[in-house]
Amino acid sequence: MLLQAEWVKTFWTAPLVHAAAWSLATIAFYLLAKRLYRRWPRWWLMPLAVAPALLMIAALALHESYGDYIRGTGWLVGMLGPATVAFAVPIYEQRRLIRRHWPLLLAGMTVGSITAVASSWGLAWLFDLDAALRLSLLPRSISTPFAMEMAGEIGGIPDLTAVFVVITGVFGAATGEIVLARLPLRSALARGASLGVAAHGAGTAQAHRIGQTEGAIAGLTMVLVGLMNVSLAPILARMVN
Amino acid sequence: MVRRTSVLTRRFFRRSALLQIGLVAAFWFLGDWLGRRTGLPLPGGVIGLFLALVVLHVRGLPVVTMKRGADRLLADMLLFFVPAVLAVLDHGELIGLTGVKILSVIVISTLAVMVVTALTIDVCYRWTERHAAAS
Repeated sequence: MLLQAEWVKTFWTAPLVHAAAWSLATIAFYLLAKRLYRRWPRWWLMPLAVAPALLMIAALALHESYGDYIRGTGWLVGMLGPATVAFAVPIYEQRRLIRRHWPLLLAGMTVGSITAVASSWGLAWLFDLDAALRLSLLPRSISTPFAMEMAGEIGGIPDLTAVFVVITGVFGAATGEIVLARLPLRSALARGASLGVAAHGAGTAQAHRIGQTEGAIAGLTMVLVGLMNVSLAPILARMVN
Repeated sequence: MVRRTSVLTRRFFRRSALLQIGLVAAFWFLGDWLGRRTGLPLPGGVIGLFLALVVLHVRGLPVVTMKRGADRLLADMLLFFVPAVLAVLDHGELIGLTGVKILSVIVISTLAVMVVTALTIDVCYRWTERHAAAS
């Protein structure tokens, strides 16, 4: 019996088996959550909320640390790279719309970015959060690689920023559709840009579900807002320090 | 390159989503390599995105060689965020009052960004439409 347990333990901790098991579990929980959401489309049943919650329960039950988990499933997060490239297709297909309305998009991205940074800073100050946390909160509405770059630049903690970015994405994607439905919006441009600017990749994925145009605009604004923030980070760093 | 190959390969390329995902990933790989090589502070995916846009724009590749693969990647993009959410497990300090405060900052600020961005663009949109109609 003991021997068998020992065997199971050796087998389970073999890196490849471990990685395959967690990757499969992640994909399976995601597909399950997606199916649930298709059946009952409530905001709290969003795949990005349900799948991680199930996985967290599993990880806690198995006494698995995040470090061990991500070692096996990091390649899935790495797929965000090719997924970013994939936006070339919708952006290319919407090129006429983008060329016609680029001043609007630029205005929206500028105002949105200023709102993101200013409101994070102001609220963090209001809630009396310490400086490191406050700085880590600033880049949260842009996608992870940009945000971590920017957090390091302005003196925040990139690790914590990554967590805030994800929470922002989950929240933005979960509530985006409801919020946008309540605003008197005429254009798909406004819906797409709103999700791309406020909730980066997760918001963009959600925008893609709302419509083709929304998805393309969200992908474009997500990338451009990230670029804009990273290039302005040195100036911001001088302002906040 | 693809244009010169036989009709059969072309047809195959248009149908296979997996092959197309491979092509998209090749752009990312190239972007990543370029970024590392030149020291550009940009993620590989973003450089790859620009490369892909340039190639599509100069008609180096027709869009159908990527469409299916790209659509498949984008449709399930949320999956790629799932493992990252579990980082919360490592940050016990986010539980408790600090956590509530941080969550409030994120929730209020995200809502503000969404509403402000959407309204800014929509107001500008209506203005330009009215302007176009008047002139």
